[in-house]
Amino acid sequence: MEEAESYPPIDPSNFDLIVIGTGLPESIVASAASAAGKTVLHLDSNPFYGSHSASLPLNDFIPFIQSESQPQSRNLTSDDYVSTPVATRPLYSAVETNSYSSEPTENSRKFNLDLAGPRVLLCSDSMIDLILKTGINQYMEFKSVDASFISSADGGLENVPDSRSAIFKNRGLSLTEKNQLMKFFKLVQRHLGDDETEDDKISDQDLESPFVEFLTKIGLSQKLKSIILYTIVLADYDQENLEACKDVISTKSGISRLALYHSSIGRFPNANGAIIYPIYGQGELPQAFCRRAAVKGCIYVLRMPVVAILNDKDSGEYKGIKLVSGQELFSPKLIIAPSFTIPSTPNHDAQVANSDDVSLSDTKKVARGICITKHSLNTQVANCLVFFPPRSLYLEQSTSVRVLQLSSNVAVCPSGMFVTYLSAMCDDNVQGKKLLNAAINALFSVPISGNSENSGASNLSEHAEEKPCLLWSTLYIQELTTFQGGLDSISKTPMPDEHLHYTDLLDATEKIFKEIYPNEEFFPSINVSNDDEGGGSELDS
Amino acid sequence: MASRRRVLLKVIILGDSGVGKTSLMNQYVNRKFSNQYKATIGADFLTKEVQFEDRIFTLQIWDTAGQERFQSLGVAFYRGADCCVLVYDVNVAKSFDNLNNWREEFLIQASPPDPENFPFVVLGNKIDVDGGNSRVVSEKKAKAWCASKGNIPYFETSAKEGFNVEAAFECIAKNALKNEPEEELYLPDAIDMAGGQQQRSAGCEC
Repeated sequence: MEEAESYPPIDPSNFDLIVIGTGLPESIVASAASAAGKTVLHLDSNPFYGSHSASLPLNDFIPFIQSESQPQSRNLTSDDYVSTPVATRPLYSAVETNSYSSEPTENSRKFNLDLAGPRVLLCSDSMIDLILKTGINQYMEFKSVDASFISSADGGLENVPDSRSAIFKNRGLSLTEKNQLMKFFKLVQRHLGDDETEDDKISDQDLESPFVEFLTKIGLSQKLKSIILYTIVLADYDQENLEACKDVISTKSGISRLALYHSSIGRFPNANGAIIYPIYGQGELPQAFCRRAAVKGCIYVLRMPVVAILNDKDSGEYKGIKLVSGQELFSPKLIIAPSFTIPSTPNHDAQVANSDDVSLSDTKKVARGICITKHSLNTQVANCLVFFPPRSLYLEQSTSVRVLQLSSNVAVCPSGMFVTYLSAMCDDNVQGKKLLNAAINALFSVPISGNSENSGASNLSEHAEEKPCLLWSTLYIQELTTFQGGLDSISKTPMPDEHLHYTDLLDATEKIFKEIYPNEEFFPSINVSNDDEGGGSELDS
Repeated sequence: MASRRRVLLKVIILGDSGVGKTSLMNQYVNRKFSNQYKATIGADFLTKEVQFEDRIFTLQIWDTAGQERFQSLGVAFYRGADCCVLVYDVNVAKSFDNLNNWREEFLIQASPPDPENFPFVVLGNKIDVDGGNSRVVSEKKAKAWCASKGNIPYFETSAKEGFNVEAAFECIAKNALKNEPEEELYLPDAIDMAGGQQQRSAGCEC
């Protein structure tokens, strides 16, 4: 009884929509539904916003992924409804943390560590468009990721020539390669241009073929192909092993990703390149959408676990939820975060239960890592991306390893430190760890006291002195869940995906919104007033 | 240095639901008051230009947008605040007792570099109600609490009558200006998104 008293009663008890979990997809749907005039209740059992999209202080990070590594369940009964207990399933595994210095943990609150890193925004991508459309750029600020690097054959890092000026300044390319790349960028530009001359267009046959074959056909060097495929088009899998490749990128989609990248350069006058990152971390995004929702009337209750789903006794239909406080709340629609499972009851199959079983048999995984150092990977830049294309770390490397280093100028760590995120797609934990450890060994000097398994460290020792020394690191494997909406009343949001950008996650989120509200616009256009002209508020209306 | 930091001051208003946070900022910025209470919907932030020693600053006053009702203000709300205004209702003892929680919550979430000297301002609102007869928190008691927390400036206000609101916000602005920002965050400047093909409009959406 004591516990129940600390949970405040929620009034009213009927809503158009209840959303459980404040991850980015849940927060966007809550915001979109509120903007469409729906009454929305948004709950989270955690004391912070963001769920699986959160940015956390260092000392809160490990406990969170560990708590989400074990299944949990609660059981409560209801008098009037069939009550199906809500359980959570593990989404993180193989968590492995190494601490070589006490300095990071002593400054825990100065860190904002992304659970789903590395992730960035392209200035012209659909997430930026949504940020501007909803006006949440009033709640957030961004800074440039200054440069991109690709690991070179000799183990060093070379600048990615992603624009004309970058090609011009690049020192790693031969003159022939520079000309080839310049010609290729022009070819893409002509293809996308308005001139309706057939000669300027890439043929339909080429557009449907694998991008790697097109790049070979027009005569690009191996190095240039690698740069385009893995640092600009951001391919996950080895594109040159077409039989084993799980995601072959077509020329059509390659060209459109390249176009997105190029249109991102120069979109904002004082951005250095195509890529930006939010100050204080990715966790600002769900919070900004939640504030937007709150301004539109959405009710927010953190620290409020949901224990059961309530179903109608006769029809078995979803009716509402039961909170840990015992209170029952009702809505025609429910959105739940990906960590929840609802086991089917003997008499009434819960509406989303089956999809869990299906998805578990064929889940993809992403290996993620975070490293903290006192020195930058490159003394010229504070925030940068690094790419290890397939086969660049070792022969059997079949997926790309992506790395994002951030500095204190985006307020993710104390002054004088750097946070580096790594990720790679993998089939299992062993493969995932091997990928990340190989990249970590290539980038950092790992103190000997650590217990990570470093097999191929011999050829790296010569560079060891120049490399930043690890202060703290963690590696973990995250499950990737696919979109599971469309089951009548309950929709489940996806986990943050393996990509470097938000485009796919945003598409999936819009789809969920469209499934539950087919007649509503996903964020109707509004005039967002400029923040120096009075804030866009409607007080006292 | 042309940092936006030097011209924009973020002020957040904290306090229990119903103490008059939205009314106070509305009275200060728009000189308007509505008797009809409803839990805040639609309030985001208000801005007002203030002048000090020949320089113009923009005061950006953030409302809790109702997220204070279940103590669910996220850390993003608190970040980068230059001054924190704590409001209570002189007629509701609990709202005064909770000031301590709000202050502590702010210091934890915002974690300002120098918490001892971070500028707070306390407002005891609704002094007009029932001619002061329903008042339960005395000025003396409130001032004693403010003194014990490092001499926080204290104002008694009536958002309804507009009493002392201007003076209180003048003090708030002055204190916000004194707050030393973390320079590193503003070097280099954040991305200017307003220049990026954003549809511009002067009016508000109401």
